[in-house]
Amino acid sequence: MRFLYVMLALLSGLLTNAAVGDEPARRVVHPFGETLIEGQPARVVSLYQGATDTALALGVTPIGVVESWVERPMYHYLRDALPETVRYLGLETQPDLEGVAGLRPDLIIGADYRHELVYPLLSRMAPTVIVNTGLDFKALLTLVGAATDREDAAHQLLIQWNTRVADFKRQISAKLGDAWPQRVAIVSVRADHVRLYYHGFAASILAELGFSLPDKQGRDSWGIKLSSREGIPALESDVMFMFLQGAEASVAYTLAQWAQHPLWQNLTAVRNDQVFEVDPVTWNMGGGIIAANHLLDELYAHYRLAPFYPEEGVRVNHP
Amino acid sequence: MTAQPRLCALQHSDAHQSRCVVAVLSVILLASLLLSVSLGSQPTAFMDVLHGLIRPQHSDIQLILYELRLPRTLLAIFVGAALAVSGLILQKLVRNPLASPDVIGISSGASVAAVLVLTLGAGVISERWLPLAAMAGAALVALGIVTLAWSRGVTPTRLVLMGIGIAAALGAVTTLLLVLSTDTSAMHAYIWMTGSLYATQWPSVIGMVFWVALGLPLAFVMARQLDVLSLGDELAIGLGSQVTMSRLKLLGLSVILTGAAIAYAGGLSFIGLIAPHIARRLVANRTTALLPVTALIGALLLLYADLIGRLAFLPRDLPAGIFVAGIGAPFLIYLLYRWQRH
Repeated sequence: MRFLYVMLALLSGLLTNAAVGDEPARRVVHPFGETLIEGQPARVVSLYQGATDTALALGVTPIGVVESWVERPMYHYLRDALPETVRYLGLETQPDLEGVAGLRPDLIIGADYRHELVYPLLSRMAPTVIVNTGLDFKALLTLVGAATDREDAAHQLLIQWNTRVADFKRQISAKLGDAWPQRVAIVSVRADHVRLYYHGFAASILAELGFSLPDKQGRDSWGIKLSSREGIPALESDVMFMFLQGAEASVAYTLAQWAQHPLWQNLTAVRNDQVFEVDPVTWNMGGGIIAANHLLDELYAHYRLAPFYPEEGVRVNHP
Repeated sequence: MTAQPRLCALQHSDAHQSRCVVAVLSVILLASLLLSVSLGSQPTAFMDVLHGLIRPQHSDIQLILYELRLPRTLLAIFVGAALAVSGLILQKLVRNPLASPDVIGISSGASVAAVLVLTLGAGVISERWLPLAAMAGAALVALGIVTLAWSRGVTPTRLVLMGIGIAAALGAVTTLLLVLSTDTSAMHAYIWMTGSLYATQWPSVIGMVFWVALGLPLAFVMARQLDVLSLGDELAIGLGSQVTMSRLKLLGLSVILTGAAIAYAGGLSFIGLIAPHIARRLVANRTTALLPVTALIGALLLLYADLIGRLAFLPRDLPAGIFVAGIGAPFLIYLLYRWQRH
C-alpha cells in the first residue's frame, strides 16, 4: 500500500513538473484568439494548402492533410515529401472532422475564411491555430514556425528568401536595363472568364521583386473578373504571366476566343510576344514558402538569370 | 419499410392504423439514430459506441460520439421534422399538393439573407449571425407576401402566385450576389444553399429543439383548423371558422418552422414537398393523423440523406441537401406506383 502512495506521489510530482516545466507553453496569437502549445508538436494536421507547404518546408511532416484542388489528392510538388501513411481529410471547405479527431493530433492548423464555424470543435481536439489568409506567405511561415516550435527554421527560410529576392532584383535590373521595371499582368484564364490579379500570392511576390503591377484604381480587392472581351485593355502590360485553370478543353477554347480578338492583339505584351504560360499550382494554389521559391525558380529560368541558392538548406524539400 | 403499411393495415380503425404507423416509424427512427451514431469516417465498433454512449467519461471516442455524430444526427431529425410539418401545413393551407416552403418564397427569403451575410458580409459579419439572418429573412419575406397578396383577406391562390413571383425575384437576387462575390464566399454560399449539417454543434441543436418544441404542439392544436380550411372557404366560413385569421396563424407557424430549419441547416428543399405525400400513402388524410407521420418521415429522410452525404464519398463530407431528393424522389415514385396498382 505504501508503495502505491509513493508511486502516486512520484507520478503527481512528475506531472506537475511537466505542466510547469522548464519550457513554458508557447502562446500563439491568431485571428480567432490565442492558443497555448506545449513542446514541439509531433502530430500535426494541416487543413489549409498553404500550411501543408509551409510545414513541409520547416521539416514538419503532417500526419493528416486536406486534399489539393487539382492533381488530387496532393499537388505533385508536395506529394513526394509526404509519407504514404498520411491521412487525407477531404476538402479544405469541409474537412473530415472525425478523421481529424481519430488522428489524435497535437496541433491543428486551419484557415480563417474556411474554418470559423468548426474552430470550436477543432479546439476541443487539439490546440488549433488559424492562418490569417489576408496576410502573405511570410506571415504564414512565421505563424507555422511559432506553432510548431521551429521559429529558427522559419527565420532561416525568410533570410534565404530575402537574399534570393535581392539577388533576383540585382540580376534582372542589370539584364533588362531601362526596360526594368516591367509592367506585369498576372492573368488566370478560366472556362467562362478571365481574371487579373492585383493582390494575392503571386502578385505580392512579383511586387516584392520590383515588377510594376497594373493600376489598382484604389481597389483593395484581389483583382478583377473579366467576363467579356471588352475588358481586355485592362490586361495592358509589358509581360503577361498566364495560368490556365479548370477543364482543359473549355479553358483552351476561351483562350483561343480571347486571343483572336483585336483588342488582345493590340496588347503590348502580345505584340512583343511576351505572354507566358505558368504553372497554376505554383502561382496560385500552393501558397507557401516552397511554392514561392518554385515561382522564383520559374522566373530565374524565364529571364535566363544565373540560378542562385544562398544555402542548400532551402532546397531540401524541393522534389 | 414496405412490409410496414401492410403490417399496420391489419388494424381495424383509422386511429389504430395511424398509431401503429407512428409506432413503427418511431422504432425505425430510433434504430436509425443508433445506426447514424455508430457509423462515420473513423471506424468505431458497435459495442464501443454503446459503451461510449452510456459511459462517455470512460470512452476514448467520446468526442466523436458526443461532439460530432450525435448533435449532427439530432439536428437532422429536428430539421427534417420541422420542414416536413411546415410543408404539410402549407399544402393544406393553400389546398395545393405542390405547395412547400421552397416553392412559395419563404425559403428564398432565408436564402437571400444568408447569402448576403456570406458574400457581401464575408469577413465583416461573423458567420455566427447566419441563423438569425436566415430567420429574419424568412419572416420578412412571408410578411411581404401576405401584405402584397392582401385583398380583404388572403386567398390561397393569391398567396401561392405572389409567393412564386417573389421566390423567382429573390432567386435572381441570390444569383446576382453569387456572381458578384469571390470564389471562396460563393462556394461557401453554394454549400449553405444546398443544405448541410456538417459540423453541427450543440448550440444549434438546442436552438432548433426550442423552435420544434414550440411549433409541433402548436401544429397539433391547429390541426382541426387546417382540416376545416381544406374543405374550402365557403364551408369553412359556414362552420364558423375565421378563415383569414386561421390562415395567417398557420402561415406564421409554417414560417417559424421553415425559418428555424433553414437557419440551422441551410437551404434544404424538397423535404417539405415530399414528406407529406409519403405520409398520405401511409395513413388517412386527416391532419392529426398526418402530422406525426409527416414529421417522422421528414426526420428519416434528412437523417439518411446526411448519412449518405458523410459516408458515401469518404473522406469527403458532402452536403445532405444533395441526397434528399436522391432518396426521397424514388421512394415517393415507388409509393405512387404501388398505390395506383392497388
